Amino acid sequence: MELFRVSRDIYGREVLQGMSWDLLWVFFGLGCALIVAHAAYRLLLAPKQR
Amino acid sequence: MPTRTETGGDAAAGTTTHTIVRHALPDRLFHWLSAACVLTLLGTAFLPILGVEFGWVTVHWITGIVLIVLVLFHIFRVLVRRRLGAMWVGGADIRDGLAVVGATLRHRAVDIRTGKYSVAQKLIHHAFAVVVLTTIVTGGLMLLRIDTPWWQRNPYLLPDATWGIVYVLHGLAALMLITMVMMHIYFALRPEKLLFTRAMIRGWITRAEYDEHHDPKRWQVDR
Repeated sequence: MELFRVSRDIYGREVLQGMSWDLLWVFFGLGCALIVAHAAYRLLLAPKQR
Repeated sequence: MPTRTETGGDAAAGTTTHTIVRHALPDRLFHWLSAACVLTLLGTAFLPILGVEFGWVTVHWITGIVLIVLVLFHIFRVLVRRRLGAMWVGGADIRDGLAVVGATLRHRAVDIRTGKYSVAQKLIHHAFAVVVLTTIVTGGLMLLRIDTPWWQRNPYLLPDATWGIVYVLHGLAALMLITMVMMHIYFALRPEKLLFTRAMIRGWITRAEYDEHHDPKRWQVDR
């Protein structure tokens, strides 16, 4: 998986074009993972609050 | 200055409730309009990448300008009302945070009464501030690369390498917003946090909620 999008200018040099959009699913998956982890912790492990 | 309180409900029916104003109307409008802008910007940015084709550029930059105006309004309002310190993470907040981490590691319940905002709320505010400011500064620069009613595009304002950094920062901040918005909505919908969500919709919390969650020394309200 690439981190960045790059292209080449007229001189053949690499030019940064931005973040790789493959990372869209990484950040979406991270959000899902954090939500599931927190919900599972609160449901199964966390001591009961007042 | 103490926070304003109000009395609502139906006295004749014995359902009078004493409420405390947590978010004034302009702050709630700022929050929800900003939320609408951020969701619109995320949708117009990422839906085309996911294959949903539509003319997203105009909607994206106009919404971006609205968000810039909203953020400037928020900063102006905070400065004029001298409320910059309301989000300051102080020693008491750090102690709260350490207490929560310690209790979590020891698997014990924790009973903390915070000021108006908890340390978690302050940190998520600062995280959104950094990320949204990054998007609007880089987005503002990128606006110079498109034609608008006010100027002609100028793609040569910055060297290509600098534009690359601008694009990376804009994209990274946008990607981070996906995770942050998901977390923000999740916590807003958790049962124990619904009082804060209601306060962001209707403006108030009850006296009982104030007594249960807040330290009167750290958030002074009218009695």
